[in-house]
Amino acid sequence: MAVWSERCRVLLCVAALSGCASYSTSFGVIERNLALQQYDVALQNIEQQSTVKHDRVLYLLNKGMVQRMQHDFAGSNQTLEAAKAEMERLYAASVSENTLSFLVNDATVSYAGDDYEQVLVHLYMALNYLELAQPDAARVEALQVDIKLREIGEKIPDSKFTEDAFSRYLTGLIYEEHGEWSDALIAYRKAYEAYQKYQKHYGLALPDMLKHDLLRLTQRQGLSDEAAQYQKKFDLTPPGKEIASQQGELVFILNNGLAPIKREKAISLFDPVSGIMARIALPYYESRFNNVASARIRVSGGQASGKQATSELMEDIDAIARQSLDARLPAITARSLARAVAKTTATRNMQRRNDNDAALDLLGAFAVQVAAIATERADTRSWLTLPANIQLARLSLPPGSYTVTVELRDKDGQVVSSKEYPGVTITQAHKTYLTQHWIPAQPAGRRRAK
Amino acid sequence: MSLFTALQKNAALLGMIVLLGALGACATKVTRMDAAEVQDLSGAWNDTDSQQVSAEMIQDVLNRPWLTEYTVLQKRQPAVIVGEVRNLSHEHINVNTFVADTERALINSGKVQFVASSTERQEIRGERKDQDLNASEATRKAMGQEKGADFMLQGTINTIIDASGRTQLRYYQVDLTLISLVDNSKVWVGQKKIKKLVERSNLRF
Repeated sequence: MAVWSERCRVLLCVAALSGCASYSTSFGVIERNLALQQYDVALQNIEQQSTVKHDRVLYLLNKGMVQRMQHDFAGSNQTLEAAKAEMERLYAASVSENTLSFLVNDATVSYAGDDYEQVLVHLYMALNYLELAQPDAARVEALQVDIKLREIGEKIPDSKFTEDAFSRYLTGLIYEEHGEWSDALIAYRKAYEAYQKYQKHYGLALPDMLKHDLLRLTQRQGLSDEAAQYQKKFDLTPPGKEIASQQGELVFILNNGLAPIKREKAISLFDPVSGIMARIALPYYESRFNNVASARIRVSGGQASGKQATSELMEDIDAIARQSLDARLPAITARSLARAVAKTTATRNMQRRNDNDAALDLLGAFAVQVAAIATERADTRSWLTLPANIQLARLSLPPGSYTVTVELRDKDGQVVSSKEYPGVTITQAHKTYLTQHWIPAQPAGRRRAK
Repeated sequence: MSLFTALQKNAALLGMIVLLGALGACATKVTRMDAAEVQDLSGAWNDTDSQQVSAEMIQDVLNRPWLTEYTVLQKRQPAVIVGEVRNLSHEHINVNTFVADTERALINSGKVQFVASSTERQEIRGERKDQDLNASEATRKAMGQEKGADFMLQGTINTIIDASGRTQLRYYQVDLTLISLVDNSKVWVGQKKIKKLVERSNLRF
């Protein structure tokens, strides 16, 4: 019987081992296909992850993101809506999963999405609806962003990420589209507040666009004191009256690069007295290679031929993700240490068993030891199809049909990639949204850390 | 043979039975429900809300003076058209169900006539155009004979959310307005308010 139980243990260890490949390593294939713009193949790769129950949110998020890269906006919304429902279900902490995570590792807990990821779902759904020309549905998402941010702000009031500046800004654009000026102004003010925080924490400058929007809307609402204050602070010339309702607007959004990826760093400790080894594995973020620094859009056709605009950095997801992990790292480390203690105790108990067969005991202890070390893996899960940063360019145009040329430039201003969008229709007093995803091929074998 | 060894020998069989039992629990289970039965799952807008709204609106719109006044004054029934019911809430809500309910009740009351909405009209016009070409003289329907509506039904759904921790107070307000196409006067405003307290669970298995 004893032999059997030992064999069982060894078997268990092997089973545990096979389940140990860290999440982020599985992304390599998907990423290569995305860089080649083979979205169908990437979707098939993602589909293979659909069966992992505790990574379901990530599967849905990645799928929804690739669907929108394919311009399947309706399908993307369906998938992201499912992701939202799953996040909502995971709001309640699982007793069984948390117990298991204490014994095995953090990756056994269902992934509900980091705070910033939970906000960005709404952002991308709103963008999908805007590109589908359904501004009312986009407004629904704008309201959900507000509810979500309030929830986060209440949960962790001193967190650095209590406001998502770009989401606020986009909700402002959406309200403005509906002619809800006061709501739009409130959203812009909140975006302004959030960008001030961004400047402090992530070194992201306040976008010029927002300055003009604040001035324009405060003037429109007759808040002359506030308008004068913005004018002075931002050193702006007051806008002329003629930009009024005659024109339409093109809003171009560049989803630039890929969000940082979590890798694992592990320390192994060996106690020569007891012969017990302990391992602590922690995640860290690695930034992805990207060669594009900004985008320039140029329109041709119609009366406004040749008009152009350069994109501004609106959201630095790379920095937000890093900050978020930094904030959570003490808790992750504490959990990892507690696990190391528990696993060491289990190994020691195996060694000290007073069975007749000493060799078997040793084998058992060894097996437990192997399992303890092998299962100690860092939780490297995150929404990997997110861009590293989001940039935005706005161009005010007379109504008509245009061909939009998007040039992606590197930091020296050299054109890296150029793409044409024919037949972009601008209608009077409305915004037309156009989004592009840029995913460069990652250089093989080269890891760039910030 | 003791029971224990018998069990051991039949362990494979036993395992199969347990597995089959587990499988049975995995099959999709469907329970038919009465359409009027209240079943709240997530706290989001659901069929019960939609039904409550339509019931309230129908009750209200048929018992208000605008209907008799119009019928007496114009000596004919008013023709109504459904405009847009805008969803200004924080949820993606299907407004078609209670609009259709309200429309059905109004038509079936026999006191109001309904005109096809603008999207429905497009299809009808296409058919009429086709008839012009392909239908016989006797059955062909002429263009330009459409009945113009006297009133348009418009509406909005608004929500106010108040949340603290895992408790959320959801307040829905549905407003439907009947506007005269002659002079933009509002002849009827219907309102239904729904308030829900949603408490999210902290723990799951």
